[in-house]
Amino acid sequence: MNPVVSIEALEFRYREGDFRLGIPELAIERDTTTAFIGPSGSGKTTLLNLIAGITLPQSGRVVTEGVEVTSLSDSERRDFRIARVGLVFQEFELLEYLSVLDNILLPYRINASLRLGREVRGRAGDLAERVDIADKLDRYPGKLSQGERQRAAVCRAVLTEPSLLLADEPTGNLDPVNKWRVLDILFDYAERTDTTLVAVTHDQEILDRFQRVVDFSQFHEYGERSGAGP
Amino acid sequence: MKQVVYVAWRYLAYHRWKTITLVGAITLIVYLPIGLRVLVDQSSRQLTARADATPLLIGAKGSPLELVLNTLYFGSDHPALTRYSEAMRVTESGLGTPIPMYVRFRARGHPIVGTTLDYFDFRGLEVAAGRNLAMLGECVLGSRAAEALGAGPGDNVVSSTESVFDIAGVYPLKMRVVGVLDFADSADDDAIFVDVKTAWVIQGLVHGHQDLNRPEAAAGVLGREGNRVIANASVVQYNEITEENLESFHFHGDLSDYPLTAVLAVPPDQKASALLQGRYQSDEDLAQIVTPVAVMEDLLGTILTVERFVVAGAVIVGLATLATAALVFLLSLRLRRRERLTLFKIGGSRLAVASVMASEVVVVLASGALLAAGLTLLTSRFGSLAIRALLRT
Amino acid sequence: MALLLALVGACGEAGSSDSAESVGEAGAAGEVGVATGAEGSTLLVYTVSYPLAYFAERIGGERVRVEFPAPRDVDPAFWSPGPETVVAYQRTDLILLNGAGYASWTDRVSLPSSRLVATAAGMADRYVVVEDAVTHSHGPAGEHAHGTIAFTTWLDPTMAVEQARTIRDAFARARPQHEEAFDEGFAELERDLLDLDGRLSEIVAADSARALLASHPVYQYLAARYDLGMRSVHFEPDEPPSPAMWRDLRGILEEHPARWMLWEAEPLPATASQLRELGVESVVFSPAGNRPDDGDYLSVMEANVRRLATAYGDTPER
Repeated sequence: MNPVVSIEALEFRYREGDFRLGIPELAIERDTTTAFIGPSGSGKTTLLNLIAGITLPQSGRVVTEGVEVTSLSDSERRDFRIARVGLVFQEFELLEYLSVLDNILLPYRINASLRLGREVRGRAGDLAERVDIADKLDRYPGKLSQGERQRAAVCRAVLTEPSLLLADEPTGNLDPVNKWRVLDILFDYAERTDTTLVAVTHDQEILDRFQRVVDFSQFHEYGERSGAGP
Repeated sequence: MKQVVYVAWRYLAYHRWKTITLVGAITLIVYLPIGLRVLVDQSSRQLTARADATPLLIGAKGSPLELVLNTLYFGSDHPALTRYSEAMRVTESGLGTPIPMYVRFRARGHPIVGTTLDYFDFRGLEVAAGRNLAMLGECVLGSRAAEALGAGPGDNVVSSTESVFDIAGVYPLKMRVVGVLDFADSADDDAIFVDVKTAWVIQGLVHGHQDLNRPEAAAGVLGREGNRVIANASVVQYNEITEENLESFHFHGDLSDYPLTAVLAVPPDQKASALLQGRYQSDEDLAQIVTPVAVMEDLLGTILTVERFVVAGAVIVGLATLATAALVFLLSLRLRRRERLTLFKIGGSRLAVASVMASEVVVVLASGALLAAGLTLLTSRFGSLAIRALLRT
Repeated sequence: MALLLALVGACGEAGSSDSAESVGEAGAAGEVGVATGAEGSTLLVYTVSYPLAYFAERIGGERVRVEFPAPRDVDPAFWSPGPETVVAYQRTDLILLNGAGYASWTDRVSLPSSRLVATAAGMADRYVVVEDAVTHSHGPAGEHAHGTIAFTTWLDPTMAVEQARTIRDAFARARPQHEEAFDEGFAELERDLLDLDGRLSEIVAADSARALLASHPVYQYLAARYDLGMRSVHFEPDEPPSPAMWRDLRGILEEHPARWMLWEAEPLPATASQLRELGVESVVFSPAGNRPDDGDYLSVMEANVRRLATAYGDTPER
C-alpha cells in the first residue's frame, strides 16, 4: 500500500517551553479518513503543520504524497503545499476584504506556480454551487454566517484539487446543523475525489465517521504530567 | 504578479477611507514644500520680470518700495509726488527717454494710469479693439479692466473721488473708452490708461469752461456770489470732456510744476544708465532714482526668508505626519499578521505574501508621490495665475 | 533689431504706416525713440503750421515727405483736429511743433514725445509776452482767445532760421546718412530767409520811427525784430468792424498817429475806405500761417516785402 503520509523518527520541539513531540513511526493510507484526537497541546495541530511542510522537525523524515517534505526548501514547500495540500481551519481564515469568490480563488493568486484561468473559475463556481453558496459569491465574509464562511473556506481548500485535505478543528466554531453540513461536505468530497482526509478534532460526536482515529497522548511527553492523560 | 496586484488593490479598496486618508497625507507631505517652492519661485520670477523690464524709476525721495509698487503694479497707495520737471530733466540730460507716470486715481477699483504714448511702446502693449489715446479725456482699458467694467470702445468710465471729504476739490471725470488692449499677463491688464494730461484734468489742474455753469448742473448749485459758485456736495457730478468743450481746456501755470507719481527712465545703454543714476546722488536733490530690480530683490529676499521658514515648518510637520503614517502602516501590518500566516499556510509564495502585505505601503506612497507630482505640475502651470487672482480680490 | 525691422518696413511701400510701424516695433523691444531708417526709407514729417512745412520741404527735399493736414480755410493756430487726424500725427516719424503756445491743440492730445520737435524751444528768451490777453468772438470759427505769449515766431526771419536749424538737426538725427543733403537744403533756405531779413531791415530803415497799426495782434515778432512802433486792434479782413472797434481805433490813433495798417489778408473795401477816411492806408502782410492759394511761403513773404516797400516808399498822401 502506498501511504499518502509516512513519518519516521520524527522529533519536534518548540524553541521555547518543554513541549516535545516524538513520533517514531506513522503512516496514513491513501483515500482514508483519519481523525487526530488528544488533549490540548498534545501536538495534533503541530503534526498537521509538519505534514503540510509548514514547520520542520528537528529530526526525522516526513514524506507526503511521495515528496520528502523535510528535505525541501521553504519556497519548495510552499509551492508543494499550495497545489497538493488543502487546508481548512477552525477560524475559517477568510480574508475580510475579498469577496467570497475572490477568497475561493485566492490560492491561484498568491503563487505563480498556479495559473488562474477560465477553467479554474468554472470549477470554483461549481464548488460554490455544490456547497450552496453560489448566490453569495459577491458578498464579503463579514456578511456571511459561520456556516457559510466555513463552506467557502472548504471550497478554497479543494479548488486546487489536492489529494490530501488537512482540517484543523473544522467544526469547532460551528453550530450543530452547520457542523454536520460541513462534515458532510468534507466526507462527500473525500469520497468522491479519492482524497485523503485528516482532521484534528475535539468533538467526540463525529469520530464515528472516521475510518481511523489516532490518539496523540501516546506521542508527546510533558516535562511534568499535567494529569490530562488518555 | 498581476494577481497579487489585484489582491492588493482589493485590500485598499475595502479600506477606502484609510487608504484615502493615507494617500492624502502623503500627497500633502510631499506636495506642500515643493508646491510652495514652485509657487514662490514662479511668482518671484514674474515679479522680477516686470522689474527687470523697467530699467530706472525716478520719484520723490521716500520709500523706494512704494515707488516701485505704485509704478509697476499700480498699488493703491501712491508715493509722495514729484514734478513734471523731473521728466524734463531726463530729456535734457540726453541720457534716456522719460515716461511720466501719474498713478493716483481709481475708477471702480481699477487704477487709472496717467502716462504718455511711449509707455505702450515700452511695455509692448498692443491695441486689440478700437485705437489708442488721441484726445484729452479718452481712456484705453487693459483687457481685464475691460472685462470687469464691461466696457469697450464707445463706452464711458467715470473716475472715483479720491476721498469722501473731497467737497470742494476733485469731481469725477467721465472718460470715453476708445480702445482695449491685448492681454498682457501683467498689472497692465487691470489698468485704465489715460494721457497724463487727462489725469491732471481729474485732479482739477486743467479745466475747461464747463463745470457748474452748465444748466444740468444747476441742481447742484447752492448759490452764486458773483464769480463764485457754491456747489451742493451731495450731488454727484462729473466733468466730461466733449468735442464742444475740448478747446476750452487749458493749462494754468508752468507745466514743469505739474505733479507726477514717478518718471520711468529708459536709458539707451548701461553707460547712460550709470551716468543718469549718478546725477541723483546729492542729498539736496528732491528726487531719487531707483532700480526696480534691486528693490524687488530686497522685497523678495524678505519673502524668501519667510518662505524658508514656512517650508521648514512644512517639512517638520511633514516628518511628523510621515512618522504617524509609518506607525499606521506598522500597526496595519501587525493587524494583518494572521492574514499573513494564513497565506503562508495555504502555500502562498514568499514574494506573493510579502507583496500583498507591503503593497498597502507601496501603493499609498506611490499614489501620494504621483498625486504630489501632478499637483506640482498644475501649480507650475496655473499657480501664478491663481495667486494673481487671489491678490486682486 | 530696429534696423532689421525698419528694413522689413522699407521693403513695403516706403510709406507712412510702414516707417511708423518700425518705430512702434522698436519700442516694443523696450526701447523708445525714432528708428533710424535704412537706406531709402523716406522720413515722414507732420507739422502744425504751413511755414514749418515749407521749411521742412526745403531742407528735406526728396528724402522727406511733409504733411500738413489743416484745412485751407482755417487758421492753424486755432485749428482743432479730430481723432483720426491726431492718430495720423501719432504715426509719423517726426512732428514739428512751433512753440510759444502756437497750436494749443497739441496740449490736448496724446503725441509720442520722442518724436516731437519743438522748433522754437531754444529761443524762449525771445518770446514776446502779450499784456492784454482778451477773449473775443468773431469769425466763422467762433470764439477764440489769445494766450499770454505771441506765437507767430517765424515772422522774424532770424527766428525762422533758428527754427529751420532745429528742423535740420532733427532730420540729421533721424537719417544721418542724408545729413549732407539736409545741410545743403538748410543752407539755401537760410540764405533766402536772411535775404528777406536784410531787405526788411533796409525798408524799415527808411522811416524807423514810423507808427504802424496791426489789424490783428499777429506781428509782434516782426515788430520786435525791426523795432516797429506797432499797436494792434482786432479787426478781421472779412468782417466789418463794429462801432466799438472803430471807437477803440480812434482812441489809439489819438496817441499813436499811424498812417498804415497791416492786414493778414485783403480787407473789405468798405473797411479800407473807412480807414482811409481816418487817414490810415491798408497794406497786406500775410503771416502765411496756412498754405497760400498760389506760390509758397517765400513768394508770399516776398510779396509782403514788396508791398511793405511800397508802403514805406510812398508818400503818406495818395
